[in-house]
Amino acid sequence: MSSLLLEPFNYSYMANAIWVSGLVGATCAFLSAYLMLKGWSLMGDALAHSIVPGVALAYLLNLPYAIGAFFSGLLAALSMHIVKQKTQLREDAVIGLIFTTFFALGLLLISIKPTAINIQGIILGNILAISPIDRLQVIIISLISCLCLLINWKAFMLVFFDDAHAKSIGIRANALKVLFFTLLSAATVAALQTVGACLVIALLVTPGSTAYLYTDRFGILIIISVLIGTLTCVLGTYLSYFLDANPGGLIVCLQTSLFLLSLILAPKHGLLVNKRSQKKLRTI
Amino acid sequence: MNPIIKVNQVNLTYPNGYHALKDINIDLYPGHICGLIGVNGSGKSSLFKVMMGVTEPTSGQVLIQNQANKVAFKQNLITYVPQTEEVDWNFPILVKDVVMMGRYAHMGILRIPSRNDEQAVSEALEQVGMTAYKNRQIGELSGGQKKRVFVARALAQGSDIILLDEPFTGVDTNTEEALIQLFQTLINQNRLIIVSTHNLGSVPYFCDEVILIKEQIIAHGSIEQTFTEENLSKAFGSMLRHQHIVAKNIHKDQDKRSVTVITDDERPLVLYGDEDQQNIVKPESHQ
Repeated sequence: MSSLLLEPFNYSYMANAIWVSGLVGATCAFLSAYLMLKGWSLMGDALAHSIVPGVALAYLLNLPYAIGAFFSGLLAALSMHIVKQKTQLREDAVIGLIFTTFFALGLLLISIKPTAINIQGIILGNILAISPIDRLQVIIISLISCLCLLINWKAFMLVFFDDAHAKSIGIRANALKVLFFTLLSAATVAALQTVGACLVIALLVTPGSTAYLYTDRFGILIIISVLIGTLTCVLGTYLSYFLDANPGGLIVCLQTSLFLLSLILAPKHGLLVNKRSQKKLRTI
Repeated sequence: MNPIIKVNQVNLTYPNGYHALKDINIDLYPGHICGLIGVNGSGKSSLFKVMMGVTEPTSGQVLIQNQANKVAFKQNLITYVPQTEEVDWNFPILVKDVVMMGRYAHMGILRIPSRNDEQAVSEALEQVGMTAYKNRQIGELSGGQKKRVFVARALAQGSDIILLDEPFTGVDTNTEEALIQLFQTLINQNRLIIVSTHNLGSVPYFCDEVILIKEQIIAHGSIEQTFTEENLSKAFGSMLRHQHIVAKNIHKDQDKRSVTVITDDERPLVLYGDEDQQNIVKPESHQ
């Protein structure tokens, strides 16, 4: 029995995929703690789509595709930020405007100059088929992002909570925001390989939202979120061996089930607890 | 005595061409509560932001204890209590964590609190009477408690100048009273408090100095000399209701004095006297 359970680890590609996806899950979950608070959740989705022209261009120029993806993601994030600052448009309109433009540009590039791009690989992702060089990219991106977040998590929290106060005590809020979007673009690139462009958004929203149900302290929220992100990604990739399924789909389904379970049972903001405390109020 | 804050020839024009502030010159001294009064869009918030260094003035400068305000921030000389609407009350953060944010400037890059920081936080919470609520999530508090948390953050920061933006909106009269008492203790510790408000009636009750603003400074000085019907009309224009109640409508003797009630739908300002001189009537109590 135990030999059956350990079977995936006999294949180095499986073992690698499992821990790499755990790393990606942790990075995205860390970011998700911030994203969902600001009403920027769709930013991850937008970024994942905005990456496509960069990937296409990188293939045309024979560059590592992470570089193209990274710069086009960053460009998209910055243009959203600038349009938001210079106009009175609402956030969702700005996001919708920019990311569809980028995505369209990407499709245009690919259709004009069909190359060896495996478009399905970008949109659906598959951590099991990742090449060693791409894996190295993902590992470096994740480690650097996690390190930046660990060092600056309190400064980020202050900037997200009270921008003016942050500026007034000499924290460079705008520089930190640019850093945050840079990390977000980088993490999106990494997650692209694991779950694909369509499902990146799940990794960037679900862990944070689930953790939100458990605590009122931001530090603890980050810890819970990262735990959820890591465990679901590891478990999802591991289970995909037995189910012979796409790991991306499995990971997101696991995260959503965990969210639904928490929504009902979470001791802090779960539905059951809320109902009980309402009942208590009524009896008083 | 040197002014603790000196606003020198400040002009502010926004990128869209809107003139928010015009030739602002103000000197303010510690130990006062100064009301910054004007209609919405009169430049109150802009002036605050310029004082805080959050917005860069188009020309001119702000000196805090004779230093550029960028330097002053590093020394935590000035701090700001935001309007209630500016804060995300659903943020997963406890009262004590918000107050601890006031200490961030005193900490290293990893922002790990020292025993000093912990103590400053508990003292600040004690001073505003919020110790019992330190482990509450901020959204669970009442309007007045929410304000006090941010005042505690300013105290923990140890600033000599505290800017408060509309501190009395959404706050009941008892809490208003308590906040005003707190401000009195703070200025006795030689701090300067600047309060922006459009609630005219309560101004004489807690301010000893006022600045009336409408893009430029309309008037600045002690409350008795500055807070007059003439100046208020200039600052507020048609936003105010004036109600003169002259003597003959009240009694039949030769007394020429009249009562003037000025209101913008909040607590009214009451002036009493004859044609030459009308004085502010302070409310007996806030109840």
